[in-house]
Amino acid sequence: MFKRILVANRGEIALRIIRACRELDVETVAIYSEADRGAHYLQLADEAYCVGPAKAAESYLKINRVISAAEVGNVQAIHPGYGFLAENAHFAEICESCNITFIGPSHQAMTKLGNKNDARRLAREANVPVVPGSEGLVTDEQEAVRIAHEIGFPVLIKASAGGGGRGMRVAANDLVLKTAIQQARNEAEAAFGDGSLYLERYIQHPRHVEVQIVADTHGNAVHLWERDCTMQRRHQKVIEESPAHNLDENVRRAMCEAAVRLVEVSNYTNAGTVEFIVDREGNFFFIEANARIQVEHPVTEMVTGIDLIKTQLRVAAGEPLPFRQEDIRTNGCAIECRINAEDPAHGFRPSPGRIERLIVPGGFGVRFDSHAHSGYVVSPYYDSMIAKVIVHQPTRQEAIASMLRVLAELQVDGVRTTIPRLVEILRHSAFVEGRVDTTFIERTWPMGQ
Amino acid sequence: MSGDTPPPGDVFDPKKIRSLIELMIEHELSEIDLKQGGTRIRLRRGQDPTAAAPVATPAAPQTAPATAPAAAAAADKFAVIKSPMVGTFYSSPNPESAPFVKVGDHVSADTTVCIIEAMKVFNEIPAEVSGQIVATLVENGDPVEYGQPLFRVDAGR
Repeated sequence: MFKRILVANRGEIALRIIRACRELDVETVAIYSEADRGAHYLQLADEAYCVGPAKAAESYLKINRVISAAEVGNVQAIHPGYGFLAENAHFAEICESCNITFIGPSHQAMTKLGNKNDARRLAREANVPVVPGSEGLVTDEQEAVRIAHEIGFPVLIKASAGGGGRGMRVAANDLVLKTAIQQARNEAEAAFGDGSLYLERYIQHPRHVEVQIVADTHGNAVHLWERDCTMQRRHQKVIEESPAHNLDENVRRAMCEAAVRLVEVSNYTNAGTVEFIVDREGNFFFIEANARIQVEHPVTEMVTGIDLIKTQLRVAAGEPLPFRQEDIRTNGCAIECRINAEDPAHGFRPSPGRIERLIVPGGFGVRFDSHAHSGYVVSPYYDSMIAKVIVHQPTRQEAIASMLRVLAELQVDGVRTTIPRLVEILRHSAFVEGRVDTTFIERTWPMGQ
Repeated sequence: MSGDTPPPGDVFDPKKIRSLIELMIEHELSEIDLKQGGTRIRLRRGQDPTAAAPVATPAAPQTAPATAPAAAAAADKFAVIKSPMVGTFYSSPNPESAPFVKVGDHVSADTTVCIIEAMKVFNEIPAEVSGQIVATLVENGDPVEYGQPLFRVDAGR
């Protein structure tokens, strides 16, 4: 095991990593920006170095300063957390060349899985279903119709040079498709200077279900089952849970096994997540892989009883996984709510400020992961998440009741939070009955409400 | 020992004073009296209510500031040269040479005041302020962080 590592992150995930290290007797070196100076969690590290002014680009993302801090701090490894440099293959490579272990996958595996095209190809190689689509670009209407019949209507016409949801059109049949192709090509040409198009099956009412995986450096790769992250707002996850409610057991098993196959074919090591969308019929399709530990990892920890951060440290230190696939079971139901300092009354705009008072909930199966405390200043420079509340109960019904009880106890005075909206979601019959998809939140509470 | 050239450093560094106090407690010493070049510090513990209060006497006019409280008050009107990076502080161009600057020296904005080594690269750090060096706040070989004060400069002189 390492003697000392650097935590290349901030806030709740930095605290999470420091906690795991303290339990493993691993010394920690923390880094902080001038905006995070004085944050209480820094006192739990053995050493802390300022790496720059408030802006992330000038501090947490400054690779040279992070590496320098690792050198003066005399560490053997760096844990990148999530976000920031966690999926920066260049950073992982620099760590390697400086003889510092990067706690995560190799930079090669990270690059392979990080590229969407390459990841799709690997998925096909591993017999993992991907969203059916044209193999390449679509150049004429006849070809488009032929492919659309192969992949199945409705289809999504996508501009290959597009992004951010732009340059996409849905077509439900041949007639609409022909006109849509023309229009899409013109739009793409005008907007992106490139009219190239490709087709994908349009998955309606999708659920977002992801699989937690971990692989060691001895050839063992396992999954730790799934998390349902369908509750999103603008592609940001709001509520996560495990197991995925009402998911056919065969689909669940097949999806998790597919995730492991993808990991094996990619030579991926350490923790990661394989994301799928699931349609109404229970078909699942690979979307993308995340080569890092994720925000919602506590959900998996609660239902499996496995500490994922400690596992990451052990894998990076060269130890074999202490469990086999058959040992990993889920027990009960865990739900996580992300508490953001945002104002639901004003389109969820960030609500920075000083937390005058924080009353933290507790009780059976309650976990509160947060770097915040009374007097803590939520600055405007970083993401607005201030806490994660996780509950673990024998059944989903009890977990929902527990979360409602916990959110009523939790008090955050001084900044606006998303707590009221979370309560509304948890009480909504569609959520309780599992009749939701990734557009649920935006449809039910349109912009500004 | 008392004849040596004093190494750069501030004897009124709280870290140093704290370790002296710990040493005294550990070995049950009642008094420590240290002299280094032109400065001297005496710590005494015991029944006397003012025990463990540092008493410092500047022996020569051109050396370090007089007493800790006075230095603290004076510090406000001095400019501070801060570290622009994370790394290791070196006071001289190489181990054999004299330091780039010492207390009392005049510097201009582009005078190199020290080297900070980061990732095997030795970066020469300019003063970026002109005036007289009043204090060196770190020691040769110390790790420094972004924004850490390195030198105090009297910009008026």
